[in-house]
Amino acid sequence: MTIALGLLARWAHLACGLGLLGVVGAMLLAGPSAGPTATRWMSLMSSLVRWLAGAVLLSGIATLAGQAAVVAGRPGAALDPAIWVRLLAQSQFGTVWLVRHGLLGLLAALAVLREREDSRLDWAAWRIESWLLAGAGMAAAAWAGHAAAVEPLGLLAALTDALHLVAAGAWLGALLPLAILLKHASTETGADARPYAVLAIRRFSRMALVAMLAVVATGLWNTWVQVGGIPALVGTPYGWLLLAKIALVAVVLGLAAHNRRRLLPALPGDAATVGRPAMARLSRFLGAELGLGLGILALTAGLSLTAPALHDSPWWPLSYRLSYDAAAGVPGLNARLFLGGQMAFLGLLAAIVGWLAGRRRALFLAAGGVALVVGLWTALPPLAVDAYPTTYLRSPIAYQASSIAKGQALYAAHCATCHGKSGRGDGPGGAGLPRPPADLTAPHTGQHTAGDLFWWISHGIPAAGMPPFAGALAEDDRWDLINFLRALAAGEQARALTPLVERERPWMVAPDFSFSVGPAPPRALRDARGQFVTLLVLFSLPDSLPRLDRLARSYGDVGLSEAELVAVPTDADPHILRRLGANPPIFFPVATDGAADIVSAYSLFSRSPGATASPPRHVEFLIDRQGYIRARWLPGESGKGWDDLEVLGGQIRALEREAPVVPAPDEHVH
Amino acid sequence: MRLWRVVLLMNMALGFGLFLGYLAWGRPYLELERELGLSRQPAPPAVERAFSTRGVVRAVFPDRNVVVLTHEDIPGYMPAMTMGFPVQEPRLYEGLDIGETVRVTLRGVPPNLVITAIARDGKP
Repeated sequence: MTIALGLLARWAHLACGLGLLGVVGAMLLAGPSAGPTATRWMSLMSSLVRWLAGAVLLSGIATLAGQAAVVAGRPGAALDPAIWVRLLAQSQFGTVWLVRHGLLGLLAALAVLREREDSRLDWAAWRIESWLLAGAGMAAAAWAGHAAAVEPLGLLAALTDALHLVAAGAWLGALLPLAILLKHASTETGADARPYAVLAIRRFSRMALVAMLAVVATGLWNTWVQVGGIPALVGTPYGWLLLAKIALVAVVLGLAAHNRRRLLPALPGDAATVGRPAMARLSRFLGAELGLGLGILALTAGLSLTAPALHDSPWWPLSYRLSYDAAAGVPGLNARLFLGGQMAFLGLLAAIVGWLAGRRRALFLAAGGVALVVGLWTALPPLAVDAYPTTYLRSPIAYQASSIAKGQALYAAHCATCHGKSGRGDGPGGAGLPRPPADLTAPHTGQHTAGDLFWWISHGIPAAGMPPFAGALAEDDRWDLINFLRALAAGEQARALTPLVERERPWMVAPDFSFSVGPAPPRALRDARGQFVTLLVLFSLPDSLPRLDRLARSYGDVGLSEAELVAVPTDADPHILRRLGANPPIFFPVATDGAADIVSAYSLFSRSPGATASPPRHVEFLIDRQGYIRARWLPGESGKGWDDLEVLGGQIRALEREAPVVPAPDEHVH
Repeated sequence: MRLWRVVLLMNMALGFGLFLGYLAWGRPYLELERELGLSRQPAPPAVERAFSTRGVVRAVFPDRNVVVLTHEDIPGYMPAMTMGFPVQEPRLYEGLDIGETVRVTLRGVPPNLVITAIARDGKP
């Protein structure tokens, strides 16, 4: 109920505010006139401005009440003066509200206490001032909306949104005054205003074209910023509202195009047979546009109260999705894509040429349309892969060592029976199933979205005999499991890592981890982002002692000192410092807390090229400043290794010199 | 009054309001910013201070009278890090083991602090 009232208030406020902008704009477009009908219209518009100015203030107060109820979380707070004061004094919404209503209040005062208009200067001064006040008052709303929260381009987003509002007002708001003017002018008694009305509507037509382009361009930009992709557009409430809004805008644009092409040229025609009927018709069509426009504003009010799709988890409505990556490797795929794409492109071209040429339009359109459909029909089906409602769901649990470790324990308890201890689908429980359990280490695992895995784990795969786990595992547990599966598949690829950095080719995301040394506060790998290269050393005593000895003595030497060294005992002994002893002194961090999670996650990345057995007792990783594992050294591997500290120093310097080539990895599985 | 004069007056009033707003809030704000910048410049006054922190012993150098600790944040002095501190007298670190968690007291005129007390914390 409160939501509905809040929505109504926002809608009314938006409609009245944009109406003010449009009505004053229409008066300015039409210009002063001494004709009796035009004068009557002008004074009608002036009183409309007074009413709208009153209504915009009242509805503005109602939006404040609505916001108070939303902020306080209870309907009763809508009329609580204490909440109002807090809201106005201490929130961005309040500041923007005060500024906007100050401006709108001035506008109302100017409209209500209007002095005589003695000259054209007076005429123009009042209207231009009113238009500027209404424009500033409405445009400022952008600073209290979703646009102001955009990072890092908040100012640009707000300016774009402000332009969107002003352009929409100039266009939609002018529809009502012009419909009224045309209605007056189309009657017998209003004939004196016909040239005036025709001139006004022509000016409006030119201005509206620019305004529509601005509305569409800024709207598309807003969509990109607030939605970000197809799944969010079709899978979230924000996306649905936006789609409905776009559909309505398309209808209005179609109507406007019809008016411009068909009715506008007919207006100056013979009064009785062509001009006046066209005028009356245009008046009705403008009315229809206005009705749709009010619908668009209702959807806009809804959008302003809905979380932007970018911050929402999309719920995919189709049973398939199109993905080149997931379909890659299907024989003949590229040939079909190329052929179909070309055909669709030619079809589109033919349709456009036919439309523009005007001759044999139907033939061109039909042929182009057929080619387009056949082309798409050829190209798209091979790209379709199965999808589920949760396919584009984002994991709420970050890809980090602690989650992977939890997932590993859950895997051993719930999944290993069928999928096998190492994830190869060779568990004893999988023998009698209708389909053999999936090999979770195979490269294709990475081609399914995290959301796909979430669906399979939650609901099972009935045809394959996989049971659902929604009852047995909490949602967070399932995401931990998915983080583990990602690390498992990535670990399989990690066999390709060598001690030498591949220049500018980061591909293996390092799971974040945190550790602490004694009572010092915990530190995370993330903290090194953009700062320094990390050398992660997993060691076991006593085998690793000579190596640690070497690292400790060289710590601070050129090369090694440019990286942050983190040593983690594989046995996760909290007394590891005592065991390492005093000689040589070790000054780099040695994890006394958090080691267990790091070891279980990074062991997955520690398998040597041939072996499947347990992870080695000592392994070192180089992690670049963006958070990617770039090189790995297993003692005893053939070839150049880090037992030569010169080689290690060279790799660190190479990473130090490298400019970031890809963005830092997302913290969540995709 | 002529309408255009009303409009002009109103705009002047708006501009004047903005100017007053700048005088009332903008200028003091800029002044405060400047003062804050200045107050950050000079070194802290040279008076003796005392700090207490917890850390784990990483190394002891009796020949230089220095103990290296990985310590917690020392509010008002330095963030958590691994660092060596001079010790007032050798008996304070006698019998101290590597990896032991200790609570230390630092005294002196920053940045010249010495450890004046070391207490075993018991916990690892």
